[in-house]
Amino acid sequence: MLDSSYQGKSLGSYTFEIERGKIKELCLAIGDTNPLFFDKEYAQKEGYKDIPTPLTFPTVINFWGNPDIWNQMIKVGIDIKRLLHGKEEYEYLATLYPGDVVKGDTVVETMRSSTAMDMVTFKTTYTRGEEVVVIAKMTIVVPQGGEK
Amino acid sequence: MISFENITEGFELPSLKKEPITQLQLIRYAGASGDFNQIHTVPEYAKQAGLPGTIAHGMLSMGILAQMITNWVSPKQIKTYSVGFKGIAKPDDILTAKGFVKKKYENENGKFIECKVSVEDQNGEAKADGKVIIKF
Repeated sequence: MLDSSYQGKSLGSYTFEIERGKIKELCLAIGDTNPLFFDKEYAQKEGYKDIPTPLTFPTVINFWGNPDIWNQMIKVGIDIKRLLHGKEEYEYLATLYPGDVVKGDTVVETMRSSTAMDMVTFKTTYTRGEEVVVIAKMTIVVPQGGEK
Repeated sequence: MISFENITEGFELPSLKKEPITQLQLIRYAGASGDFNQIHTVPEYAKQAGLPGTIAHGMLSMGILAQMITNWVSPKQIKTYSVGFKGIAKPDDILTAKGFVKKKYENENGKFIECKVSVEDQNGEAKADGKVIIKF
Protein backbone atom coordinates (compact mmCIF):
# COMPACT_ATOMS: atom_id res chain seq x y z
CA MET A 1 0.00 0.00 0.00
CA LEU A 2 1.27 3.43 -0.92
CA ASP A 3 2.37 5.77 1.84
CA SER A 4 0.84 9.02 0.62
CA SER A 5 2.93 11.05 3.06
CA TYR A 6 5.70 10.82 0.45
CA GLN A 7 3.68 12.80 -2.08
CA GLY A 8 5.77 15.81 -3.12
CA LYS A 9 8.70 14.72 -0.91
CA SER A 10 12.34 14.58 -1.90
CA LEU A 11 14.08 11.20 -1.87
CA GLY A 12 17.50 12.82 -1.80
CA SER A 13 20.22 13.18 -4.36
CA TYR A 14 23.19 11.32 -5.83
CA THR A 15 25.97 11.97 -8.31
CA PHE A 16 27.19 9.97 -11.27
CA GLU A 17 30.17 10.47 -13.54
CA ILE A 18 29.34 9.66 -17.16
CA GLU A 19 31.76 7.07 -18.49
CA ARG A 20 32.53 6.31 -22.12
CA GLY A 21 32.37 2.59 -21.36
CA LYS A 22 28.82 2.86 -19.96
CA ILE A 23 27.68 4.63 -23.14
CA LYS A 24 29.18 1.86 -25.27
CA GLU A 25 27.75 -0.85 -23.02
CA LEU A 26 24.22 0.58 -23.24
CA CYS A 27 24.42 0.83 -27.04
CA LEU A 28 25.76 -2.72 -27.35
CA ALA A 29 22.92 -4.06 -25.17
CA ILE A 30 20.33 -2.24 -27.29
CA GLY A 31 22.10 -3.20 -30.51
CA ASP A 32 22.53 0.45 -31.48
CA THR A 33 25.57 0.61 -33.76
CA ASN A 34 25.40 4.35 -34.54
CA PRO A 35 29.09 5.46 -34.72
CA LEU A 36 28.12 8.72 -33.03
CA PHE A 37 28.05 6.83 -29.70
CA PHE A 38 31.34 4.97 -30.25
CA ASP A 39 33.68 7.15 -32.29
CA LYS A 40 34.87 10.49 -30.91
CA GLU A 41 36.25 11.70 -34.25
CA TYR A 42 33.00 10.87 -36.01
CA ALA A 43 31.03 12.68 -33.29
CA GLN A 44 33.25 15.75 -33.64
CA LYS A 45 32.60 15.82 -37.39
CA GLU A 46 28.89 15.78 -36.53
CA GLY A 47 29.30 18.89 -34.36
CA TYR A 48 29.72 17.32 -30.91
CA LYS A 49 32.68 17.85 -28.62
CA ASP A 50 32.84 14.12 -27.84
CA ILE A 51 30.46 11.17 -28.14
CA PRO A 52 27.09 12.27 -26.75
CA THR A 53 24.93 10.10 -24.50
CA PRO A 54 22.11 8.18 -26.23
CA LEU A 55 18.51 9.21 -25.52
CA THR A 56 17.83 6.60 -22.85
CA PHE A 57 21.10 7.15 -20.97
CA PRO A 58 19.33 8.87 -18.04
CA THR A 59 18.13 5.40 -17.00
CA VAL A 60 21.79 4.39 -16.52
CA ILE A 61 22.36 7.45 -14.32
CA ASN A 62 19.20 6.61 -12.41
CA PHE A 63 20.04 2.98 -11.61
CA TRP A 64 23.84 3.10 -11.38
CA GLY A 65 23.89 6.50 -9.69
CA ASN A 66 21.23 5.48 -7.20
CA PRO A 67 21.43 1.76 -6.39
CA ASP A 68 19.17 2.50 -3.39
CA ILE A 69 16.26 3.02 -5.82
CA TRP A 70 14.64 -0.33 -4.94
CA ASN A 71 14.64 0.46 -1.21
CA GLN A 72 13.18 3.87 -1.97
CA MET A 73 10.37 2.22 -3.90
CA ILE A 74 9.69 -0.15 -1.00
CA LYS A 75 9.72 2.83 1.39
CA VAL A 76 6.97 4.67 -0.53
CA GLY A 77 4.90 1.49 -0.54
CA ILE A 78 5.51 0.01 -3.99
CA ASP A 79 5.28 -3.79 -4.17
CA ILE A 80 8.49 -4.25 -6.15
CA LYS A 81 7.67 -7.89 -6.92
CA ARG A 82 4.70 -6.84 -9.00
CA LEU A 83 5.59 -3.42 -10.32
CA LEU A 84 5.33 -2.50 -13.97
CA HIS A 85 7.03 0.36 -15.71
CA GLY A 86 4.16 2.51 -16.94
CA LYS A 87 5.82 5.47 -18.55
CA GLU A 88 9.20 7.16 -18.98
CA GLU A 89 9.56 10.80 -20.03
CA TYR A 90 12.64 12.89 -20.77
CA GLU A 91 13.16 16.56 -21.39
CA TYR A 92 16.67 17.29 -22.70
CA LEU A 93 18.13 20.71 -21.96
CA ALA A 94 21.78 20.03 -22.78
CA THR A 95 23.98 17.39 -24.39
CA LEU A 96 25.86 15.13 -21.96
CA TYR A 97 29.37 13.82 -22.56
CA PRO A 98 31.83 11.36 -20.99
CA GLY A 99 33.46 12.94 -17.95
CA ASP A 100 30.43 15.03 -17.03
CA VAL A 101 29.47 14.72 -13.39
CA VAL A 102 25.72 14.78 -13.08
CA LYS A 103 23.69 15.19 -9.90
CA GLY A 104 20.21 13.69 -9.70
CA ASP A 105 17.54 15.00 -7.31
CA THR A 106 14.44 12.84 -7.08
CA VAL A 107 11.02 13.82 -5.78
CA VAL A 108 7.84 11.79 -5.58
CA GLU A 109 5.80 13.90 -7.93
CA THR A 110 2.45 12.10 -7.83
CA MET A 111 0.95 9.14 -6.01
CA ARG A 112 -2.41 7.71 -6.91
CA SER A 113 -4.34 4.67 -5.74
CA SER A 114 -7.46 3.32 -7.36
CA THR A 115 -9.31 0.01 -7.20
CA ALA A 116 -7.38 -1.01 -10.32
CA MET A 117 -3.84 0.10 -9.50
CA ASP A 118 -1.30 2.09 -7.55
CA MET A 119 0.62 4.62 -9.59
CA VAL A 120 3.69 6.62 -8.58
CA THR A 121 5.62 9.14 -10.66
CA PHE A 122 9.19 9.94 -9.66
CA LYS A 123 10.66 13.12 -11.09
CA THR A 124 14.42 13.42 -11.25
CA THR A 125 16.13 16.67 -12.13
CA TYR A 126 19.67 16.17 -13.37
CA THR A 127 22.14 19.03 -13.09
CA ARG A 128 25.72 19.56 -14.24
CA GLY A 129 27.06 22.24 -11.94
CA GLU A 130 24.30 24.84 -11.84
CA GLU A 131 22.84 23.86 -15.21
CA VAL A 132 19.74 21.67 -15.45
CA VAL A 133 20.55 19.14 -18.17
CA VAL A 134 17.73 16.57 -18.13
CA ILE A 135 14.37 16.28 -16.42
CA ALA A 136 13.19 12.68 -16.19
CA LYS A 137 9.90 11.20 -15.02
CA MET A 138 9.42 7.53 -14.30
CA THR A 139 5.92 6.22 -13.67
CA ILE A 140 5.58 2.92 -11.86
CA VAL A 141 2.31 1.00 -11.83
CA VAL A 142 1.29 -1.81 -9.46
CA PRO A 143 -1.93 -3.59 -10.44
CA GLN A 144 -4.23 -4.16 -7.44
CA GLY A 145 -5.44 -7.48 -6.17
CA GLY A 146 -2.25 -9.45 -6.08
CA GLU A 147 -1.42 -9.16 -2.37
CA LYS A 148 -0.44 -12.69 -1.46
CA MET B 1 20.79 15.69 -43.31
CA ILE B 2 17.02 15.88 -43.00
CA SER B 3 15.67 19.33 -43.74
CA PHE B 4 12.62 20.83 -42.06
CA GLU B 5 11.35 22.16 -45.37
CA ASN B 6 11.19 18.71 -46.96
CA ILE B 7 9.27 17.06 -44.11
CA THR B 8 5.52 16.84 -44.36
CA GLU B 9 2.96 15.79 -41.77
CA GLY B 10 2.35 12.07 -42.16
CA PHE B 11 5.92 11.41 -43.31
CA GLU B 12 7.04 7.97 -42.11
CA LEU B 13 10.38 7.66 -40.32
CA PRO B 14 12.64 4.89 -41.65
CA SER B 15 11.54 1.89 -39.57
CA LEU B 16 13.97 -0.35 -37.71
CA LYS B 17 13.54 -4.12 -37.49
CA LYS B 18 15.66 -5.73 -34.78
CA GLU B 19 17.16 -9.18 -34.37
CA PRO B 20 15.15 -11.48 -32.05
CA ILE B 21 15.53 -10.61 -28.35
CA THR B 22 17.74 -13.11 -26.55
CA GLN B 23 18.10 -13.95 -22.87
CA LEU B 24 21.74 -12.90 -23.13
CA GLN B 25 20.65 -9.50 -24.42
CA LEU B 26 18.46 -9.02 -21.33
CA ILE B 27 21.40 -9.92 -19.10
CA ARG B 28 23.56 -7.43 -20.97
CA TYR B 29 20.83 -4.80 -20.76
CA ALA B 30 20.51 -5.38 -17.00
CA GLY B 31 24.23 -4.80 -16.57
CA ALA B 32 24.32 -1.81 -18.90
CA SER B 33 21.33 -0.03 -17.37
CA GLY B 34 21.79 -1.15 -13.78
CA ASP B 35 18.19 -2.41 -13.61
CA PHE B 36 18.71 -5.78 -11.97
CA ASN B 37 15.06 -6.62 -11.38
CA GLN B 38 15.27 -10.39 -11.69
CA ILE B 39 12.06 -10.71 -13.72
CA HIS B 40 14.33 -9.82 -16.66
CA THR B 41 17.12 -12.28 -16.00
CA VAL B 42 16.11 -15.21 -13.76
CA PRO B 43 13.35 -17.46 -15.19
CA GLU B 44 12.39 -18.97 -11.78
CA TYR B 45 12.02 -15.53 -10.25
CA ALA B 46 9.88 -14.36 -13.19
CA LYS B 47 7.61 -17.40 -12.79
CA GLN B 48 7.21 -16.72 -9.07
CA ALA B 49 6.13 -13.21 -10.03
CA GLY B 50 3.36 -14.73 -12.14
CA LEU B 51 5.00 -14.34 -15.53
CA PRO B 52 5.46 -17.11 -18.10
CA GLY B 53 9.21 -16.45 -18.08
CA THR B 54 11.66 -13.59 -18.22
CA ILE B 55 10.47 -10.40 -19.89
CA ALA B 56 12.39 -7.61 -21.56
CA HIS B 57 13.02 -4.32 -19.80
CA GLY B 58 10.54 -1.70 -21.01
CA MET B 59 13.54 0.59 -21.32
CA LEU B 60 15.01 -1.77 -23.93
CA SER B 61 11.99 -1.04 -26.13
CA MET B 62 12.46 2.68 -25.45
CA GLY B 63 16.13 2.30 -26.37
CA ILE B 64 15.26 0.57 -29.64
CA LEU B 65 12.86 3.38 -30.49
CA ALA B 66 15.59 5.87 -29.61
CA GLN B 67 17.93 4.02 -31.97
CA MET B 68 15.46 4.52 -34.80
CA ILE B 69 15.04 8.21 -33.92
CA THR B 70 18.78 8.99 -33.77
CA ASN B 71 19.43 7.01 -36.95
CA TRP B 72 17.20 9.65 -38.54
CA VAL B 73 18.09 12.89 -36.73
CA SER B 74 20.92 13.98 -34.44
CA PRO B 75 20.48 13.46 -30.66
CA LYS B 76 21.05 17.16 -29.91
CA GLN B 77 17.90 17.94 -31.90
CA ILE B 78 15.72 15.96 -29.50
CA LYS B 79 13.91 18.18 -27.00
CA THR B 80 11.49 15.76 -25.37
CA TYR B 81 11.02 12.02 -25.65
CA SER B 82 8.38 10.06 -23.77
CA VAL B 83 7.15 6.50 -23.98
CA GLY B 84 4.26 4.57 -22.45
CA PHE B 85 4.69 0.82 -22.03
CA LYS B 86 1.79 -1.17 -23.49
CA GLY B 87 2.83 -4.80 -23.61
CA ILE B 88 5.43 -7.27 -22.49
CA ALA B 89 8.25 -8.24 -24.84
CA LYS B 90 9.92 -11.61 -24.33
CA PRO B 91 12.98 -13.46 -25.58
CA ASP B 92 12.56 -14.51 -29.26
CA ASP B 93 10.26 -11.56 -29.99
CA ILE B 94 11.27 -9.61 -33.07
CA LEU B 95 10.66 -5.92 -32.45
CA THR B 96 10.14 -3.26 -35.09
CA ALA B 97 10.31 0.45 -34.32
CA LYS B 98 8.20 2.82 -36.40
CA GLY B 99 7.17 6.44 -36.42
CA PHE B 100 5.57 9.22 -38.38
CA VAL B 101 5.46 13.00 -38.34
CA LYS B 102 2.32 14.07 -36.53
CA LYS B 103 2.81 17.81 -36.54
CA LYS B 104 5.15 20.37 -38.02
CA TYR B 105 5.25 23.84 -36.45
CA GLU B 106 7.26 27.00 -35.90
CA ASN B 107 7.23 29.38 -32.97
CA GLU B 108 9.51 31.95 -31.33
CA ASN B 109 11.81 29.12 -30.19
CA GLY B 110 12.35 27.67 -33.65
CA LYS B 111 11.16 25.01 -36.05
CA PHE B 112 9.88 21.74 -34.66
CA ILE B 113 8.29 18.48 -35.61
CA GLU B 114 6.36 16.17 -33.33
CA CYS B 115 6.55 12.47 -34.17
CA LYS B 116 4.51 9.55 -32.90
CA VAL B 117 6.67 6.48 -32.42
CA SER B 118 5.84 2.88 -31.55
CA VAL B 119 7.38 -0.54 -31.13
CA GLU B 120 5.57 -3.74 -32.06
CA ASP B 121 6.41 -7.42 -32.18
CA GLN B 122 6.25 -9.93 -35.04
CA ASN B 123 2.47 -10.28 -34.52
CA GLY B 124 1.86 -6.55 -34.70
CA GLU B 125 1.22 -6.32 -30.95
CA ALA B 126 2.20 -2.92 -29.50
CA LYS B 127 4.88 -2.94 -26.80
CA ALA B 128 5.40 0.77 -26.37
CA ASP B 129 4.36 4.02 -27.96
CA GLY B 130 5.40 7.57 -27.46
CA LYS B 131 6.14 11.00 -28.70
CA VAL B 132 9.30 12.85 -29.62
CA ILE B 133 9.80 16.56 -30.30
CA ILE B 134 12.63 17.36 -32.69
CA LYS B 135 14.10 20.80 -33.27
CA PHE B 136 15.46 21.99 -36.61
